[in-house]
Amino acid sequence: MSVEAQDLKLLANDNRGQSGLENGSGLVGWEEVTQGSVLQSFDGNATGIALKKQEERAYSGYNSYTATVASWRIIKPVYNRDVCIDCQNCWVWCPDTSIISRDKQMLGIDYDHCKGCGVCVEVCPTNPKSLLMYGENTPMEDALSAWPEKKKKEK
Amino acid sequence: MAVKFDLNEREVWDGNYAASQALRQADVDVVIAYPITPSTPIVENYGSYVANGYINGEFVMVESEHAAMSGCVGASAAGGRVSTATSSQGFALMAEVLYQASGMRLPIVLNVVNRALASPLNVRGDHADMYLGRDSGWLQMGAFNAQEAYDLALCAFKIAENASVRLPMMVHQDGFITSHTAQNVYPLTDETAINFVGKIQPIDDMLDFSRPITYGAQTEEDWHFEHKAKQHKAIMDSMPVIDSVFAEFKEITGREYNRVEKYDMEDADVVIVGLGSTVETARVAAKNMRETKGIKAGVVAIRCFRPFPYEEVREALKNAKAIAVTDRSSPGGAMGAFFNEVSAAMYTSINRPIVTNFIYGLGGRDFSIEEGERIFAEQQVHADAGYITTEIQQFSGLRGPKLAFFKTERS
Amino acid sequence: MVEIRWHSRAGQGAVSGAKGLGDVVATTGKEVQAFALYGSAKRGAALRAYNRIDDEQIFNHAKFMNPDFVLVIDPALAFSDNIIEHESPTTKYIITTHLSKEELIAGIPTLEGKEDRVFTLDCVQISLDTIGRSMPNSPMLGAFVKMSGMFELEYFLENMRRVLSKFPQKIIDANMEAITRAYNEVK
Repeated sequence: MSVEAQDLKLLANDNRGQSGLENGSGLVGWEEVTQGSVLQSFDGNATGIALKKQEERAYSGYNSYTATVASWRIIKPVYNRDVCIDCQNCWVWCPDTSIISRDKQMLGIDYDHCKGCGVCVEVCPTNPKSLLMYGENTPMEDALSAWPEKKKKEK
Repeated sequence: MAVKFDLNEREVWDGNYAASQALRQADVDVVIAYPITPSTPIVENYGSYVANGYINGEFVMVESEHAAMSGCVGASAAGGRVSTATSSQGFALMAEVLYQASGMRLPIVLNVVNRALASPLNVRGDHADMYLGRDSGWLQMGAFNAQEAYDLALCAFKIAENASVRLPMMVHQDGFITSHTAQNVYPLTDETAINFVGKIQPIDDMLDFSRPITYGAQTEEDWHFEHKAKQHKAIMDSMPVIDSVFAEFKEITGREYNRVEKYDMEDADVVIVGLGSTVETARVAAKNMRETKGIKAGVVAIRCFRPFPYEEVREALKNAKAIAVTDRSSPGGAMGAFFNEVSAAMYTSINRPIVTNFIYGLGGRDFSIEEGERIFAEQQVHADAGYITTEIQQFSGLRGPKLAFFKTERS
Repeated sequence: MVEIRWHSRAGQGAVSGAKGLGDVVATTGKEVQAFALYGSAKRGAALRAYNRIDDEQIFNHAKFMNPDFVLVIDPALAFSDNIIEHESPTTKYIITTHLSKEELIAGIPTLEGKEDRVFTLDCVQISLDTIGRSMPNSPMLGAFVKMSGMFELEYFLENMRRVLSKFPQKIIDANMEAITRAYNEVK
């Protein structure tokens, strides 16, 4: 699996991760906050939204889809397609729905919403693991080229 | 199609029955309840109207008042016209969810049949539960008799659901004194009633699948203040809407309601300011004082407890000399809460009349005409002296040695 | 203003009686109040129900009253409850009892000297004979109609039929008979 396949834009529309959670911009006065703190998930008419793919949906500014926690991360999970068995364990366990999977095939990491907790690595059952944590600034190529070998069972 | 309910032009209904008929006529979609004395018949009757086909609604019994109000929040957020009823301990258990409902701006109508709060356990009427709701962000209106419990319940839907209000509303009536006293009630026809109330126009309803929304968002210090400020502004802004709904109701029925009601106030020197059924008994006392003692007595009643009508109270009492504010709730180490409201209004007046506080009628203790006359007579003494001749707070109708607190510096 | 106080036991129908009376009185164009003092009381406990009748809207919500009529529908309460409480010199008493008026007053010293204001009948026996169980409220209404002179019997019966209209015809007929008998027997 090439690095390109994990292109961050792969499944993202233009709205993904556009605002940082610590960012104070966009704070409005009392006269502009929504009535009853009711938040709208999508812009415009969302009829049939469940049948649309994420990248086709018009997420609103209130939706967490448009916020990013990328800056929280100091280590990041790197995904190795060559070892993965598409068991979906990481998809189940990820606390932030940041495993991108479609039709039961693992595609990569949503780095806008991944905060680098490492749970996906913990639960990965393959040998060697298909997900490993690297420093946030480690280039993908370096990480993938140094992937560990299969471990033999100790007798 | 609902079965037609036969109504006479003049009925003899108690406050509970009257309120339940208002729920039927307003075509309430959902009532979720955990019945409690003395409000039980309101939801019980609604349930029977559903069971007997008089209304196409849904009655849901739940396991507690907390669940009842939670269910109402859900049904209202879904877009339905929603109502329930409670009293006393049930109201207390609802308290947490009351704040949720008002914060989410859900126009639920809650019929509160006022009852004392334990301990000691007591099923009769005082205003402890009503006071418990005073900071909850709900609009609160008080009915003084069965007719008003009916009229105000109809008005409540129209006020609460108004697009510029969108706040939950309580309609209060006194436990037993109003809820279980049958009196002449002149109902509207079903057609007139529903035309007056109108159909609910949902806003932010969760069943609108073209516009998925989130209720109950978390807001910390960066957002919470703005939301609560907006909510308070909406409560304050509801006043003209309440006035216009009352005006429309008067056009249909001839029955007039005001946020502050004034009786014999044209030239009154001494005034009782009250809430609930006591107001009507005090009116009789005022009339007697005028006829038998020549004392210019009047009564001011607060119809709309929230939003509190400070300006209207000040206007109503501006020429009074001595004012007795009556609190039917144990004050818990302070002046009565209602006294504090009225005093605040009068402190900003030019005349600053004498204002004293009477704690009375706790746990349903009778408030008689004679007691009202006694209070008026004492106000006249204050008025003649020009200062407060007693302690500021007195307990009225209590057995044992006189209980009174807070000396004034003016005496 | 006419004020009425009922003395009853929970379950004997004083509350329904007071409300039924209010219902009929309202048809004459008068304003009425019917209320009761009860709550967590169990069946058999002494309770009081009240009526007020006036030409104008009734504003007094106090329980306190100087009754014009005291209606006692439980025979024992006439002896054990303070039925003369807050009476006026013209308060009329209608008391259900199997005793004669003389025997009754002999047993209740507070009624002595009020012979011309005390009226008796046996509401319990009348209801047993007509309705088939002890329901002394309906007969008391018949007695009240007679002693108050407030309505013609026929007018009252006609309106009471409407008040009871949700019940089966048999029960309505039995109640009408009970009211009529009481009207004729009270003395």
